[in-house]
Amino acid sequence: MTVETGTPATIVDTIQHEIPGIKVTKQGERRLRIDVARDSLPALLELLKGRLGFIHLSAISCVDWPETDEFELVYHVWSYERKTLASAHITIPRNPGRFVSVYDIHTPAGFYERDIHEMFGVVFVGAPNLRPFILTSWGGPPPMLKSFNTREYVNQTYEWVDYQPDWLKDVEAKGGGVEK
Amino acid sequence: MLELFADLVLMPLIAFLFGLVLVLMARRVRAKIERRVGPPVLQPIYDIVKLYAKKTQISHGLMHDVSIMMLLGGFITAEIFLPVPGLDGLAAEGDLVTLVYIMMVPMLGLALGVGSCANPNGSIGISRALTSMLAYDVPFVVVIAGALIHYGSSNLIDVVRIQQEGGVSTWGVTTMPLLAFAGLIAMHGMLGKEPFELYIAPAEIATGPMVEMSGKYMGALFVMQCFQFYTVGVLYVTMFLGGGEMWLTFLPKVAAVIFISVAITNVFGRYKTEDVIRWMWRWPTAIGLVGLAFVMLKVN
Amino acid sequence: MTGSEKVPVVTDQPETCRVADAEEKSLLRKVMDNFADHCRSRSLFVLHYCTGCGAIELPPTITSRFDMERVGVSPMVTPRQADLLLITGYLSVKTLKRVILSYEQMQAPKYVVGFGSCTINGGMYWNSYATVKRLDQYIPVDSYIAGCMPRPEAIQQVFLDLMAKIDAGKATAWQDYYLNYDAYLGRQMNLFGQDWHTPTDVVAEAKHYGYVGNGTTGEHTALLDQRATWSLDTVPELYPARGRNERSRP
Repeated sequence: MTVETGTPATIVDTIQHEIPGIKVTKQGERRLRIDVARDSLPALLELLKGRLGFIHLSAISCVDWPETDEFELVYHVWSYERKTLASAHITIPRNPGRFVSVYDIHTPAGFYERDIHEMFGVVFVGAPNLRPFILTSWGGPPPMLKSFNTREYVNQTYEWVDYQPDWLKDVEAKGGGVEK
Repeated sequence: MLELFADLVLMPLIAFLFGLVLVLMARRVRAKIERRVGPPVLQPIYDIVKLYAKKTQISHGLMHDVSIMMLLGGFITAEIFLPVPGLDGLAAEGDLVTLVYIMMVPMLGLALGVGSCANPNGSIGISRALTSMLAYDVPFVVVIAGALIHYGSSNLIDVVRIQQEGGVSTWGVTTMPLLAFAGLIAMHGMLGKEPFELYIAPAEIATGPMVEMSGKYMGALFVMQCFQFYTVGVLYVTMFLGGGEMWLTFLPKVAAVIFISVAITNVFGRYKTEDVIRWMWRWPTAIGLVGLAFVMLKVN
Repeated sequence: MTGSEKVPVVTDQPETCRVADAEEKSLLRKVMDNFADHCRSRSLFVLHYCTGCGAIELPPTITSRFDMERVGVSPMVTPRQADLLLITGYLSVKTLKRVILSYEQMQAPKYVVGFGSCTINGGMYWNSYATVKRLDQYIPVDSYIAGCMPRPEAIQQVFLDLMAKIDAGKATAWQDYYLNYDAYLGRQMNLFGQDWHTPTDVVAEAKHYGYVGNGTTGEHTALLDQRATWSLDTVPELYPARGRNERSRP
């Protein structure tokens, strides 16, 4: 694998030359933000991995945007030669919330996709394994969705401590009690 | 006859009581080295009574129960064969070789008991324990052989008598210092202290063979620890430090031997299984063999 | 608790514990029990359940700074050998399962101490869907230490309080687990689903050791009995089989 050397400026040139209509923002010395159409993402990752040396997929993160009814998926790839982190941002519609798996390009993506599927309900077509991963005995909706009301769930599932039990009144009558 | 029965009751009893003192000493020494205060005087008794007073317990079948009997029985039998001041027990009938066999019984009993519970930590632990027994038994047997040749008798009463008649100059530690040194190392391995503590390894295999021992079983193990300290100490004192003339000199000698072991324990890490074998079969065995050669030259 | 103000120790002493009738004991029995209780109080083998942040306060408590071996508290590594289970911090649903498994493997009399605010009301994770709010709903708890995190002095104080309680024969929360097992199991099932069960047959233990109460069996333990009659092919699948989005690994 030959890696093209050069500054971040040449990375930007290469990406923009190969994938037209892409928006690359230099956020810092070693940070690149790439906004890309979702259909071009696998091609972009291939390009970054194959020609520019971004071989390490650090994470895939997901953001739920209820206002625009979209999920934002962010693919963070790191290059050891350039010591640069490139974050590719795409948006997919919340409904049906499907996207293609990048397991073919980056094997660790399998775990991140499994996690995002569990926490946000996004379905990755072609992912090797989307079974429940971290949540234990979970029957509810994906808990990281903004539409999931955590407080309501907690109130339904758990009982709260009685903060004014009877024995406390006795203690307070004797001059003790909980420090306010 | 009545005297013999008295011996059979008294010898294990003394062993247990003095074993409690030795256990307390071991814990106190460890605490002092770590700059702590250490447990109170009655702590070993508290522990044992507490464990025997547990209200529920888990047995893993008949072999698990039998193993506890083998553990304690092995050591109690060993006490009967070890002559102490004023009490000979069955020492005249048994000898050093018998004792070596008897001292393997507790570990084999433990292996049987662990085999009947399905805990993988226990299986790893007992396989390590038997491996380390293989490691320390080689120098131990060399030391025993040297002692047998030197004293010309395998009877422990004779061994003690020879040393006591001649005074300090005939003690094993002065007549065969190399064997005494090798014996000290083998004894240290026998006690299962660091760096030969691979089969206990609390942070790694959760106390190995003891992992499934709960309540009264654990209590039996605590009792066994008392016997173990005492037996190993007395055996060493009998072979190399002139045995027991009177209790006032005998018990401090036993305590001193255990103290050496306990004190070096705290400055060591833990050897791996293969390193224990390599080390035990190299250094104590080599020292023991040189000592054995000296003994044989002297006898001839 | 570490301050100069005297805040009373919160104890969770269940009212329903069976208390042995004082008259039915002989004098010898009483002396023996008192002696045993005294020994229990002076020899606590501690199992640390260290998934929370409170574990960091234990090394100074145990080692040379404060040295709890002075009063017979020493660490143990397996639940089988331990008397005291320290829950050092928050519990998620996943770790609570393991706590219950560990607790049931301990041999009675056994004691549980909850560390810090998280075991009392969820602490700073009070509105998290995954953090268990009240530990005493799932296993009986002898004492709590308030604070986030409690200092070693507070931990020592709870050890001393617990010792006094054991010495007086009042640390009987473990009996409550046998006497009201159905309620505890019900709350556990509420969290883990109806399939929840542990390898320990608590009802059989309660019957064997004579701690059967009105709450030992009930609708939830009936589910356990029912499960015993299941054959292998009727056990419901815990996880769905691989869906159509899944493919075999290359």
